[in-house]
Amino acid sequence: MRENMSAGIGINNVTKIFARQGADETLLALDSVSVDIAPGEFVTLLGTSGCGKSTLLRIIAGLEVPTKGDVLFNGEKIMGTSPQRGLVFQEHTLFTWLTVRENVEFALKATKQYRDKRHEISDWLELAGLSEFADNYPHQLSGGMRQRAALVRALAVSPEVLLLDEPLGALDSFTRMSLQDELVRLWKERGNTMIMVTHDVDEAIYLSQRIVIMSPRPGRISRIFSLPLSYPRNRASDDFTLLRTDILKLMDFASDVREEYTI
Amino acid sequence: MKLSVWELHRLESSPKSKLRRILERGLSILPLLLVAALLLEYKLIPNDPKYAANKIAYPVSDTYTVFVGLFGIALLVYFIRSLFSEKAYERLVYKAPLYCVIALLLMVYDYLTLKTGTLPMPYFPWVDRILLAIVGDRKILLYCIAHSLVLLFNGYLSGAVIGLICGVGAGWSPKIRYWVMPLVKLLGPIPSTTWISIILIVASSLFGGSVFMIALGVWYPVTMSAFNGVSNVDKSNFEVARTFGVSNMGLVLKIAVPAAMPSIFNGLTQGMGIACTALMVAEMLGVESGLGWYINWQRGWAEFAKMYAAVIIICLTFTVVNLILTLVKKRVLRWQEE
Repeated sequence: MRENMSAGIGINNVTKIFARQGADETLLALDSVSVDIAPGEFVTLLGTSGCGKSTLLRIIAGLEVPTKGDVLFNGEKIMGTSPQRGLVFQEHTLFTWLTVRENVEFALKATKQYRDKRHEISDWLELAGLSEFADNYPHQLSGGMRQRAALVRALAVSPEVLLLDEPLGALDSFTRMSLQDELVRLWKERGNTMIMVTHDVDEAIYLSQRIVIMSPRPGRISRIFSLPLSYPRNRASDDFTLLRTDILKLMDFASDVREEYTI
Repeated sequence: MKLSVWELHRLESSPKSKLRRILERGLSILPLLLVAALLLEYKLIPNDPKYAANKIAYPVSDTYTVFVGLFGIALLVYFIRSLFSEKAYERLVYKAPLYCVIALLLMVYDYLTLKTGTLPMPYFPWVDRILLAIVGDRKILLYCIAHSLVLLFNGYLSGAVIGLICGVGAGWSPKIRYWVMPLVKLLGPIPSTTWISIILIVASSLFGGSVFMIALGVWYPVTMSAFNGVSNVDKSNFEVARTFGVSNMGLVLKIAVPAAMPSIFNGLTQGMGIACTALMVAEMLGVESGLGWYINWQRGWAEFAKMYAAVIIICLTFTVVNLILTLVKKRVLRWQEE
């Protein structure tokens, strides 16, 4: 139920073929993938490795060009990167030679928003719980803090879309769970579109309104799940578990066979 | 209970035996005693007759006394501080053996040269003679230091700047790499001092030629380290910067260069060593001023004391230069993990 058909992101029959390094063959990474993402939606791309989810994210970011098909952003074809589509990687997102504060300042200065938004920097740092560590260098921070800083830096330039490539993948499960809550909180407050790549089914169910399930070799969308649950979600609720079972069955990681007991 | 690091250390270290503690007390005062003995040795033991007889050819002054005296005063201050602070005491005990050996070596050397002539002149001047040489020629030495440093920095900075441009450029752009790499492969393995004979003939000014030779020596390690540093920067840094709309030039200057700094400083440090070597060669073979030239000049007069004095000055000068480089490196790379 989108009001404006041209707003948001439109992926139209995107095919991506890579030349294999060293060999004389090509690799079909994405095979005619199409999906529309409305503004303000939280969508995850879920799948095993080799299903092309990171490639698709990079194409939306503008870092790769599709071999066939195109991606429209607010009605216009994407040609390269833009501050309106912010990026957060799993690791190495922050600039290690700058402090946390300087990282955020860099983003604002580069997008020419420094003068307007410099007073917001402290607010952002407080929101991320990093006020005490504002003048520390990334190597002095834990993995969780670094990812929070990377998130906050990406959000400080007020992008319409935030693209996250397995942002919590390198963290331990407890940090991951608390950062998932932070992600939802930030999303609710800012209202930007969130497109996240993950291989963790629980994470996808906890965070997104729609899950795009992709299958590998070649990368295709196998199904799109809509999750009508409200936020904040309960990992232990029955609805959660039902969805989880459905998705795992679809991906062939669970079956209908009932448990057998050995006595 | 909030402990200081020092208190924690005391808590965790094993207690010392009584014998150990007495020995350490002795050790803390031993350097001072040895320095006092050193002074007594210098002043009270008579000098070898052949030196005592000819005070003009073999002057003996109190410059050495002052030198040892300053050493002694420093030790005294250190000792007094150790009486009031546990930390200072432990550090003194730790350093004491080193100071004792220094004092003993000085004493033995003085005895063997000035007092008995076992190590003969002119090859083994006593310390006072070297000090007198420094004091006597201080104006010339200062001028030589200045000249050497000017030549060093001209050569070093030219080589480093050109090396950085070549290295960063080659690391970033395949086109620049196409032209720079053959040059690197050709000139790299050749030690820059090989060119000295050609430079002496071809160069219109010895200063210019020497600067060129030093710069050539510095250029290679700086280029390679900058090239490697930039090539190895994680691509995600550039990708994130591109989403912020950073231009290509911005990506090079604001992302590639800072990220490659650790590698670049490795090259800069290596280059400094090469520059110092090339400097000495240039001065000894042609340039008409500077510390290298001074050594050659004094060798012509068989003034060994002055030669050794110059070597000591060179050692001190290059130590200071490297210290400055290290301080700059520490400041620029303060973001790195220790």
